[in-house]
Amino acid sequence: MFQDYQTDGFFDEMFPKEGGPAFPHYRQVEEVIGGFTREKFLEKRAQTESAFLEQGVTFTVYGENNQGTERIFPFDLIPRVIPADEWQVIEDGLTQRIIALNLFLNDIYHDAKIIKDGVIPEDVVKTAAHYSPLMEGFEVPRDIYMHICGSDLIRDDQGKYLVLEDNGRCPSGASYVLENREAMKRAFPKLYQSLGVRPVANYPSLLRKTLEHLSPRQTGVPVAVLLTPGIYNSAYFEHSFLARAMGIEIVEGRDLIASDGYVYMRTTSGLVQVDVIYRRIDDDFIDPLAFRKDSLLGVPGIMDAYLKGNVVLANAVGTGVADDKVTYAYVPDMIKYYLDQDPILENVPTYLAWREKDRQHILGNLKELVVKSANESGGYGMLMGPTSSKKEREEFAAKIKANPRDFVAQPVVSLSRHPTVCGEGIEGRHVDLRPYVLYGEDIEIIPGGLTRVALNKGSLVVNSSQGGGSKDTWVL
Amino acid sequence: MLSRVADSLYWLGRYVERAENLARMVEVSRQEALESFNRRKQSDVWRAVIYATLVGDELKEEQEKALEADPAYYIALSPLNPTSIAACIASARENARAVRDQLSEEMWLELNAIHLFLSSEKAHDRYRNNPESLFRQIIRFSIIFQGLSQSTIRHDEGWQFSRLGRYVERADKTSRMLDTLTFSEDAPSSAELLAVLRSCSAFTAYRAQYRNDVSLRNVAAFLFFSPDFPRSIRFSFSRIDTALLKISGTRPGDFSNEAERLAGRALARVNFTPIDQLLENGLHEEIDAVQEQLNEIGQSIFEQYVLLPSEIRRAIRTEGLQSGRLQQQQQQKTK
Repeated sequence: MFQDYQTDGFFDEMFPKEGGPAFPHYRQVEEVIGGFTREKFLEKRAQTESAFLEQGVTFTVYGENNQGTERIFPFDLIPRVIPADEWQVIEDGLTQRIIALNLFLNDIYHDAKIIKDGVIPEDVVKTAAHYSPLMEGFEVPRDIYMHICGSDLIRDDQGKYLVLEDNGRCPSGASYVLENREAMKRAFPKLYQSLGVRPVANYPSLLRKTLEHLSPRQTGVPVAVLLTPGIYNSAYFEHSFLARAMGIEIVEGRDLIASDGYVYMRTTSGLVQVDVIYRRIDDDFIDPLAFRKDSLLGVPGIMDAYLKGNVVLANAVGTGVADDKVTYAYVPDMIKYYLDQDPILENVPTYLAWREKDRQHILGNLKELVVKSANESGGYGMLMGPTSSKKEREEFAAKIKANPRDFVAQPVVSLSRHPTVCGEGIEGRHVDLRPYVLYGEDIEIIPGGLTRVALNKGSLVVNSSQGGGSKDTWVL
Repeated sequence: MLSRVADSLYWLGRYVERAENLARMVEVSRQEALESFNRRKQSDVWRAVIYATLVGDELKEEQEKALEADPAYYIALSPLNPTSIAACIASARENARAVRDQLSEEMWLELNAIHLFLSSEKAHDRYRNNPESLFRQIIRFSIIFQGLSQSTIRHDEGWQFSRLGRYVERADKTSRMLDTLTFSEDAPSSAELLAVLRSCSAFTAYRAQYRNDVSLRNVAAFLFFSPDFPRSIRFSFSRIDTALLKISGTRPGDFSNEAERLAGRALARVNFTPIDQLLENGLHEEIDAVQEQLNEIGQSIFEQYVLLPSEIRRAIRTEGLQSGRLQQQQQQKTK
């Protein structure tokens, strides 16, 4: 299967040199998968896909007319393998990062020392779309704001891991890590076993432990629930999966009631007090009394209960200020400031349009840069300089001039590629990696994560809404 | 258990049962229509089943046309029909998706598989080439699903809610089928009587009790009062009563809420009304009364277990579903 594989000069996860042997940690994968005929392999893939569909492992894509189509998240059967020493660096780097991000959140919602000391301009923090004045002075339980974080890592042309962005609000995708693993175990049981891949199956129980750790009532079993926008949300499968795997209730806003500073769920035998809410609803929608009045998804009065300390939200309200794309540029400075350490994982160099000098650079080099709007996610609101049209660049230039705070730009990093099954055989496709970090009593990172693949030839956009797929990630 | 979950399980039970009943009715009518050479007679056959299967609003012109062109297709699969069998299964699955933690993996797989099939082109092909096997497959799905529910999950509160839904729906459908015999001034023919029995899967059971003595009186007595035929109205009421008492932990013969009181009373009535009395009151009128009771029971289950006590109900907003759906979609757009 790998005979005609070309690396095309990119850093390849599996093959150091075109036509040469695979990296040592990929040898067995090369042997086993390379031994398949194309037909046999495609057959295996068809089996895996139909299993996903039957089990409802799907996400919903909404088109313009609002008609949802359920799709399986395209899955590639060639696993990404990460050797133990590489993983150790990632784990240390992410641990360092989440500690710094939490210290930052705690600081800016209290004394804002980092601003006073001139490390981060006040403007950056206070004008971030997700900065939440309601959180100022509030003591979050256990001083943790970001309990669940999914940072996106990429590798540059030298194979160096870089952090592309942090997802510190409600990162999604963990359920696919678990489902992908099950699929791989079914497809390649012997290969999986012989490599000694580290398991990921305990993620739900770690997550539950993380949530219960926060409970304001420490007597008896804390009542934790997962708050979902509902079954029409594209990530509903994930919500339902995680709730089931954790053994907690999955609730919608209408299942909860806030009354006198407490939150209850409505059950057939009356109201039951809730201690911890793993919410998969954005801040804006969580409480129509505190935020968007037109929200039908939230619970009126939930913020009041939260600020009184009678219920805990995970992640905390207002964490979005830390995963803002402008704030991102300052994370290395934060690590230095709070921990007095050098960042173990580096950032991608980032230009901030609100800085005069950077803006001139961005506007003059649009064709070479990736421009991102500071508060969008999912690959929306993005300009891919090298593949953009003149018209698109002009539109972005106008937007950047109008709202410089909302835009950042980065050089195009030629993400590493990974052998991936494509129409005519195996070709290299760009990948990233989203590991999941849990911050509870301890910091836990499940060994692995979601390796996302840009399935379209040459594409650097790995988001599922834009032609991305995924791979299982095997940490040895 | 969460009120919303109880509600979803109730409707899951109803929709699966409804799909099965519709499939059986359509299949029987199809066979019956084959026997009727006279075109007028054919439309009579369909008129009855259409009454028994379609609920709700008046039909728009295009729906009217589609129904007339191919009634079986309309009831089973037509995209124009919002209450088709395919739509029932889709609703069942939507409810199931919201409460997957309450179902066994096997139950979900069966339901998802039939949904994927019915919403694919394959189902339409099957209808064209071998309609009988399509309807059999739907019936078989329901039987398997209910069997799995019986044997793969805990018989807890949630299970009782889905059973409740199933038997409310079943009583409704059996009574509607029986009602089709009262449409005409003339006494129903034995072919019509047999069709109703078959539509309720009651032919064999009936014959075991009444031999070949097929009369309106016997058919009505059997479908209304049989204590041990699982699709009779009496049997359904007895299961509704039991499920309600199990949910609240009330002892048999007593009641602790309005739903239980209504169900107990309805059960007593079918338990203790002689057939002659029933016929004297009028079969159609008695069936109407059953429908009325089912509606009241359904409503009071909803009020007891799903709606909030009135003092907090005021705080709940009642905006349209559509905008709520839009917001759900917009949350964390496929990160």
